[in-house]
Amino acid sequence: MIQVDSLVKEFKKKDGSSFRAVDGVTFEAQNGEIVCLLGVNGAGKTTIMRILSTVFNPQSGSALINGFDVITQGDKVRGSLGFLSGDTGLYARLTPREFIRYFGRLYGVEDKDIESRMLEMATLLEMHDFLDKKIEFLSSGMKQKVSIVRSIIHDPQVMIFDEPTAGLDILSARHIVSFIRSCKDKGKCVLFSTHIMREAERLADKIVLIHRGKVLTQGSLEALREVSGMIDLDDIFVYYVNQTNEEHEVQAHEF
Amino acid sequence: MNFKKSLIVFRKEFSELLRDRRTLFTTIILPVILYPLLFIGFSAIMSRQAGVIEKRGATIAYTDSLNQRDARSIAMRDSLLAKIKSLDYVTLIPCPKTVQQLYEEKEIQAVITISDSLTSSGLNTYKVYVQHDGSNERGQMVFSKIKTAVKDLEKEIVKQRLVDDRIDPEILSLVDVNPRDTSSSQKKIGMFLGMMMPYLVILLLVTGASTVAADLVAGEKERRTLETLLVSSASRQEIVIGKYLTIITMSMINVVINLISLSFSVRYLVAQTGLETSGVKMPVSAFLILLVAMLPLATLFSAILLSISTFSRNMKEARTYEQPIMMVSMMLGMVSFIPSIEFSNLLAMIPVINIALLFKAVMINEYTLAQLLITIFSTVLLDVVAIWITVKLFATESVLFRTEDDASLKSMRKSGKQFFTAQNGIIYFALALGALYYLGGKWQGKDLMSGLLKTQLWIILLPVLVTIRIFKQKPLEVLRLKLPKLKVILPVPFIALSATVLVSMVAQLINLIYPFPQEYMEQLGGLFKMDSRPWVLFLVVALTPGICEEVLFRGFLFRFFERYGGTKAIIISAALFAVFHLDPFRLLPVFLLGLLLGYLTYRSRSLISSMLSHTINNALAIFLVTYSSKPWLKPLMYGEDEIRYWLAIPALLVLVFSLRWFHSVTKSDMEISECAE
Repeated sequence: MIQVDSLVKEFKKKDGSSFRAVDGVTFEAQNGEIVCLLGVNGAGKTTIMRILSTVFNPQSGSALINGFDVITQGDKVRGSLGFLSGDTGLYARLTPREFIRYFGRLYGVEDKDIESRMLEMATLLEMHDFLDKKIEFLSSGMKQKVSIVRSIIHDPQVMIFDEPTAGLDILSARHIVSFIRSCKDKGKCVLFSTHIMREAERLADKIVLIHRGKVLTQGSLEALREVSGMIDLDDIFVYYVNQTNEEHEVQAHEF
Repeated sequence: MNFKKSLIVFRKEFSELLRDRRTLFTTIILPVILYPLLFIGFSAIMSRQAGVIEKRGATIAYTDSLNQRDARSIAMRDSLLAKIKSLDYVTLIPCPKTVQQLYEEKEIQAVITISDSLTSSGLNTYKVYVQHDGSNERGQMVFSKIKTAVKDLEKEIVKQRLVDDRIDPEILSLVDVNPRDTSSSQKKIGMFLGMMMPYLVILLLVTGASTVAADLVAGEKERRTLETLLVSSASRQEIVIGKYLTIITMSMINVVINLISLSFSVRYLVAQTGLETSGVKMPVSAFLILLVAMLPLATLFSAILLSISTFSRNMKEARTYEQPIMMVSMMLGMVSFIPSIEFSNLLAMIPVINIALLFKAVMINEYTLAQLLITIFSTVLLDVVAIWITVKLFATESVLFRTEDDASLKSMRKSGKQFFTAQNGIIYFALALGALYYLGGKWQGKDLMSGLLKTQLWIILLPVLVTIRIFKQKPLEVLRLKLPKLKVILPVPFIALSATVLVSMVAQLINLIYPFPQEYMEQLGGLFKMDSRPWVLFLVVALTPGICEEVLFRGFLFRFFERYGGTKAIIISAALFAVFHLDPFRLLPVFLLGLLLGYLTYRSRSLISSMLSHTINNALAIFLVTYSSKPWLKPLMYGEDEIRYWLAIPALLVLVFSLRWFHSVTKSDMEISECAE
């Protein structure tokens, strides 16, 4: 599971001023649950996921992955985490087999386990034809399948997907969506980010609305509908964004 | 830190690199085919060509312009002609009327004219003029053939005459200089290799490392694979070490393959040309020492290039940043070509140079254990620092995820049509440099003193003011001409004095490594001696440049590059400042000074700070040269203009403290804007 508490991340700008990309974010994701971070581009989704995958260090707050602290137990966090994003590249000069084996070994998985898991996934995703071709010759759909296998070769308990369907064609995107579902079915804890409302509607058990680094609200789609009195997630999103903007305006008047 | 994971990274990177055709070609295939092609092919062509030229033969026309037409002269002429005629592949023809035309049409390769003259003692001497084309090989060959033939004949005749006059012909070689070279051919070859090898090895190490380094991190950023690697179980340290090993291995492979291929080619060349090399062997120990010394250097280059690769956003940027590193290391490597340089313990502490000189010393078997240890130790020390920096860089988010669209770039695009663009800055600088070179040089050649003054006022200062006027800028604002607060000015003299001492020490070090030509030193010394009145010198050499050059570099040119950020503007303006001095020997010292002056102005927002510092700097130089002979200055100086090295320590302390002082009394942009809010 994922437990995030009052996470803060600031970036220094060139002119020396700082910018809060993540501003006190708190949420949880249980095992067997799909949680969606929903927000427009630049809302802070990727930054949150990078903190969870130990690429960034937060300034304050805490985050636990499978009970491990992202700041102090980085290696254990990475070991129990699968990470996949829509625009990750692959090593063009390796074959899928070598590529997957490389990451399997970095995760410390035994060679025979790597092989058996790879074969199992390859059958599932129909990858046998291109397992030994160089990656540079593969189509984007094939590459995405390779990335999928790479992300779960160490059988992680927690899966993080950062805009997993961004830049993919419809068929490849469908592979990803069904893969996310299968992770849930296996009892894994899944966190994914998107700016596409439909994707969130279809997949998420819980939606966390992120805007300008802050959590606007969170809950199941039903709960959000109930509170806002709206059906469409687009409308719900706009409703919450406007609400915070009004608060800002009120505050501005008071001063 | 799990070394096994570093090895996994290493193995993957290595096998991936071997699949890259470009890397494979430059590190392995190219050297294997390049040297044989270069040496064997070249030597074959050369020797073939020489034979071909000779066999093509030559036609030589002759005339005589003898003054004495007695029997003796005519006999002399005939025997000369006969001698030349007897040469192989030579046709001798009497001079036709159209000789010049034939010569120009290359029908004739040489025209010889024989003349004679009578000395006061009644001896008839002869001259053979050989008209030939010295720029072409055939002409050279004909000339040398004729010369040898004539000289041979001369010897015979003189000898005969001495015998006729009953003088022992041995008198011709009464005193002979007979060299007995005690150096073994081993040492001679060692000397040659000692000169060539360091440069070659350093060049190969750095090119080998640079072909792969850019790919390993900047390449991963570009291909968007880096994040995947970072979220894997391997720690950043493990990744860095794995990649680091890859670069070291590739650069060592590059060197080894090159050297093997080179040595085979040289051997072949030696066998072909029949050079005397019997008994010459490179001792195994020398090679072992070279290998031991080469490894720290390879690791140093690898670490530097890896940190560049880590810092860069993409491969292209990495390659750009690699260029200066390659240039500098090649220049440092060339130190082994300097014939008189002594490998001292001091030089053994200077990176790259120490390895180059150690190689040379090992090759002629003249090195001490101390030198070996100091060299290796100082390089390893630097290595550790470089690796530590790389690991730190790799763990720094802002470096690893440096992105294109930061705020300063955006503001730059917005103000694209402004006057202060880098392009305009470079154009202005080029014009000023041209004016300095042509006009300034001319003026200073006529009269140094007035020439310098005119250069400062008419080339450096005036055009800036005119340009500002034409483009309707506000001069005081653009040039930052405003009085700073007293507390800001107070630390400046301390900074200026200590920095001057340190910068001249850098110049002294450069002088030690690349000795300045005597002529140059005299010229520079002359600058301070052109007038004996100190206040005149102060005015012309210190105050005027302090004002005019600051207006141009820290005031005006600085503005053109400020949009790229203060740091970049400081660096670029300092570089232009260094180039403007048109003096390769002072490039680095002037650059360092430029950095400091740029910082002073930028941080205090007032050109007055750097004007003051610049003036003090030049004044101190005048002072040292003027009073160097006084006894009270002696304890601080070696000879006329070298500052004693121990002064570096107090100077460094003063500099650090005064800079911190200056820093604390000035504010950064951010602090200023906060105050404004």
